[in-house]
Amino acid sequence: MGTRLFTIWKRLRRSPMGLVGAFMLLSAIIVAIFAAQIAPYDPDEVVRVTIMDIYVIPNAEHPFGTDDAGKDVLTNFIYGARVSLIVGFFASFIAVGIGGTLGIVAGYMGGRVESVIMRFTDIMLVIPDLPLAVVLVALTKPSLTNIILVIGLLGWTGTARLVRSQTLSVKQRKFVVRAKAIGASDFHIIRRHILPSVLPLMVANTVLVISLAILNESVLAFIGLGDPTTLSWGQMLNFAFSRGAMSAGAWWAMLVPGLGIVWVVLACTLLGHGIEQVLNPRIEKHYLNKDQQLSRFEASSTPVTPVTISVEDTPQIDREVLLDVRGLSISYVSGNKPPARAVEDVSFTLHKGETLGLVGESGCGKSTLMLSLMRLLPPDGRITQGEVLFNGHDLLKLDEKQLNGLRWKDISMIFQGAMNAMNPVRSVGDQIAEAILLHTPITEPKELNARVDELLDLVGISPKRREDFPFQYSGGMRQRAMIAMALACDPQIVIADEPTTALDVMIQAQILDLLMSLKERLGLSIIFVTHDLGVIAELCDSVLVMYGGMMAEYATVDKIFNAPEHPYTQELLRAFPDISNFTQKLTAIPGYPPRLDALPAGCRFAPRCPKVFDKCHTHVPPLYTVNAQQHAGCHLLEVE
Amino acid sequence: MRRWQFLTRRIFWSIFTIFFVLILNFFIFRILPGDPARGGVRDPRLTVEAQEAIRVRFGLDKQVINCFETLNPIKLGDCAVNPFDTQLFIYLRNLSQGELGFSYHSNLPVGQILMERLWNTVTLIGAGQILAIIIGMGLGILAAWKSRTAIDYSALLVSLLAWSLPTFWLGIILLFWGSREFGLPVGGRITPGLNAADWFEVTMDQLRHMLLPTVTYTVVVLGQYMLIMRSTLLDVLSQDYILTAKAKGLSNFQILKNHALQNAMLPMVTLIALNLGFTVAGAIQIEAVFSWPGLGGAIFESVGRRDYPVLQGAFLLLAVSVIIANLIADLTYSFLDPRLEGN
Repeated sequence: MGTRLFTIWKRLRRSPMGLVGAFMLLSAIIVAIFAAQIAPYDPDEVVRVTIMDIYVIPNAEHPFGTDDAGKDVLTNFIYGARVSLIVGFFASFIAVGIGGTLGIVAGYMGGRVESVIMRFTDIMLVIPDLPLAVVLVALTKPSLTNIILVIGLLGWTGTARLVRSQTLSVKQRKFVVRAKAIGASDFHIIRRHILPSVLPLMVANTVLVISLAILNESVLAFIGLGDPTTLSWGQMLNFAFSRGAMSAGAWWAMLVPGLGIVWVVLACTLLGHGIEQVLNPRIEKHYLNKDQQLSRFEASSTPVTPVTISVEDTPQIDREVLLDVRGLSISYVSGNKPPARAVEDVSFTLHKGETLGLVGESGCGKSTLMLSLMRLLPPDGRITQGEVLFNGHDLLKLDEKQLNGLRWKDISMIFQGAMNAMNPVRSVGDQIAEAILLHTPITEPKELNARVDELLDLVGISPKRREDFPFQYSGGMRQRAMIAMALACDPQIVIADEPTTALDVMIQAQILDLLMSLKERLGLSIIFVTHDLGVIAELCDSVLVMYGGMMAEYATVDKIFNAPEHPYTQELLRAFPDISNFTQKLTAIPGYPPRLDALPAGCRFAPRCPKVFDKCHTHVPPLYTVNAQQHAGCHLLEVE
Repeated sequence: MRRWQFLTRRIFWSIFTIFFVLILNFFIFRILPGDPARGGVRDPRLTVEAQEAIRVRFGLDKQVINCFETLNPIKLGDCAVNPFDTQLFIYLRNLSQGELGFSYHSNLPVGQILMERLWNTVTLIGAGQILAIIIGMGLGILAAWKSRTAIDYSALLVSLLAWSLPTFWLGIILLFWGSREFGLPVGGRITPGLNAADWFEVTMDQLRHMLLPTVTYTVVVLGQYMLIMRSTLLDVLSQDYILTAKAKGLSNFQILKNHALQNAMLPMVTLIALNLGFTVAGAIQIEAVFSWPGLGGAIFESVGRRDYPVLQGAFLLLAVSVIIANLIADLTYSFLDPRLEGN
C-alpha cells in the first residue's frame, strides 16, 4: 500500500494543480505543528486589557491587529490552524472509514446487503447534513470531540457511493475472480486485492472530505456551536462578528481568520482534483476545439503529381475526377511526445461513379485519412502536407464556413458503430431532417417529412419509425438509418467507414446489398473502408492498400487480386480464405504493425516482410508505377 | 411504460425518505440529552406535580411506542397498548396537522413561526439558485467549449476558489464592504417603519436588502455548477455523435445548441437536485449574517436560545423541502430523457 501511495505522489508531479494544493496544505500543517514557535505571543497568557487594546488596527506590534479581547489576531490565527486541521483530519478519517467500509462491503457482498446499505446511503444523501449537524451538536454539548463525531458521522455518504462503484468494477477483474476460484477467503481478497485498488481513490476522496469537514466546523463555530474552550478560525469569526467588529470597522478581525479557512479548503480542493486528474486522466480535448489541423501546414513547394489509375473501362465510371488527393501527410501530436506519423504521403483519385476500397490492418491510418478529407480529425491531428482537391478546389484551403457548406452536401459519411454516431436524445427522423434543412432548400415541414420518409423507405425502414429514437432501433436498422442520413442531401461522394463492423453476417450482407443497389441507382462515388477483402472484391473498382500509414499498393481490383505486386498485399491475400481453392493454406502475417511514434528507418513493412533485403531497412521505397492500372511502394519494383 | 414505472418508484421512494426523516426527527428528540420536558423545565422550584403536568402536556407520560416505555432497551414496557396512544403516533398525527410543538422562547406554535419564514428562504434561495445556475452553467459551457485555453483555466480557478469560500465569511466581507462603501442595508428584509403605501419605494428597499445575500449565495453556489457542467460537457463533446454533427456541416454553435446541451443537461438536473441539500447549508449561514428572517435565521437564533422545538421543526421542514425538490428534479429528468419512454 505504501508503494501505491508513493506512485500517486510520483504521478502527482505531473499535475501543477495538485502540486500547488499539496504545498499549500503542507504549509498549513507546518504552521499548526510549530504554532508555539511561530506565534509572536502566548495565547493563554493573561494580560491586563484596557479599552485601548481592543480592536487595535494592524501595526508593528500586532501585524494583524487585535481582537475583541485585545488579543493578537496573528497569534490566534496561527493556533486556530491547529483546531481546524484537527477537526478536518479526524472527522474525515471517521467519515472515510465508515464510507469506505460500507462501500467495500456493499460492493463486495452484493445482493440484499448491498441494497440495504445503498438505500440507507441514498436516504442520508438527500437529508441536508448541516441542519442535522446543528440539531445534533446543539442537543449534545458542543465539545471538540462531539463536533468531530457529528461531522464525521454525517459525512460518509459520498465516500460510500464512490468506493462501492470502484469495488464493483475491481470485483469483476480477472485477478479477483481467480483468487476466488482458488478458494481465497473473502477477508483475504478484500485486504490483498480490493483495498489496494480502491485506496488511491479513497485518498483523493479523503482530501475533499477534509475540506468539507473544515468548512462545516467553521459554520458550526460561527453560529455559536463551537467548542468554547478552543479558538478555531470559525470561532474567531463568530466572536468578531457578534462582538462589534463590524461597527468598530475592525476588518482585520474578520478578514484574517477567513483567509485561513480559504487557504486550507482551497489547498484540499486543488490537491483532491489533482489526484483525481492523475488517477483518471480524462481527455479534455474534443471535436469543438479550435481547428488546429492546418496550424503546421506548410504548402508543399513542389506541386505533387497526381497518382491515378485507369479504371475507365468499367461501364458506370465517368472519366471525370471528383476527388484528387495528393501527397497527404497527417501526424498526431500530443504534449512532448514525438508526433505519431499516422499517414504519410498518400495520393489517390476518385472518379465519378467509382468505388474505391481502402484496406489495411487496424491502426494503419485508414480512418485518419478519411476523417482528414473533410478536416474532421480529432484535436491532436495535424495535416502536415498535401492537397485534397475536390472538383479542382483544395479543401484544405477553405475556411470553416465554406467547408461547412460542403460537408454532407457533397461528401457525407457513414460512420462505424452507428449506435454512438447518432444523438441518443433526438429522434432518428429529426436527425435526418437536420441535414436536409441545413443543405437543401426544403423548409416546409410537410415536404421535409415526405423527404425523410422517402429516405427511410429507400433503406427499408418504415416511415412509421421516423419519430423513434436510436435506442429503439436494432443495430442493423441504425446502420441503415445512418445510410439514409448520409444520402439525405444527394452527396457526390459517400465515405463508408467500416459500416458493417459489429453487425452479424446476415445483416452485413443486407447492408452491403443495399449500398450496392443504391450506388447503381444514384450513381454515387464511394470510398469503402474495411478489413474485409471479400467486401472489396465484391464492391470495389479500385483498391488502396495501406500499411503503417503509407500506400503499399494502389491498383484496380483485378490487379490486386490477380497480380499483387507488394509483398504486403500478397501476404494479406494469403491470410484471406479463397472459396474456390479449398487446398490453400491460410497464413497469418507474423509480427505487429509498427508503432507510429517509433517508425523503422526504411520501409515500414520491412520487419515483417518475407522478401526483405538490405535496402529495405535503410531507404523508404517510393511509389513505383507498374502499369496504368497499378502502383506499388516496394524496392523490388526498382528497375535495374 | 418505463417512464411511469420510474415515476412511481421515485414517488414511493420520496415518501419513504420523508417518513424516515420524520422518524429520525422523533428519535433524536428523545435519545439525546436535551429532552423537551427537561430542556424546557429548568426551574428548580417546580413541584413534582407541576413537572408531571408538563409531562402530560407534552405527552411524555405515554409510551414511546408499543413495548417500549422509554428508549431504554433494557426496561421494556407494555406491548398491549393501543398503538394510536403512543408518543410516536401522537407525534405523527400532530405533524400531519402541521403541529410541531411550541417554541420555548416565544411560546408560539413552531409551525406558525416557520411557515412565515419559509417564504423568505424560498425567495432568497430561489433568486440565488437561478442566478448561480445561469452563471455557473454559462461559465461551465464556455470552459468546456474552449477547453485547455486560458479561458478554461481561469474559469476553473475562479470556480474552485468560489467553492472554497466559507459562505458566512464571504457574507461578512461583502456586508462590511457593501454597507460602508455603498451604504447598503446591514441586514433584515426590509427597513422597519417604511411607508407601506409607496409600493415602488418598498420594492426598491426590498431589492436593496436582497442584493448582498443573493450575491453571496450566487458566488458560493455557482462554483459547483460550473465544475459539473464543464466535466459533463467535456464528456458529451468527445462522443461520436458530435463528430457526426460536425461532418453534417453544423457550426460549432449549432452543435453545442442542438446536440451537446440537451445531452449535458440530463446529468445536470440530477446533480442540481442532489446539491440542494448542500445549498440549504448556505442559506443558514447567509441568513445568520444578514439577519434574514428565514428558516436558516430561525435556526441561528434558536441555537443561541437553545430553542429545540424550533430547531427541529426547521430541520424537518428543510429536509422535507429538499426531498421534494429532488422528486421534482427526477420528474423533470424523466421528461427530458426519451430513453425512459421504452416501447
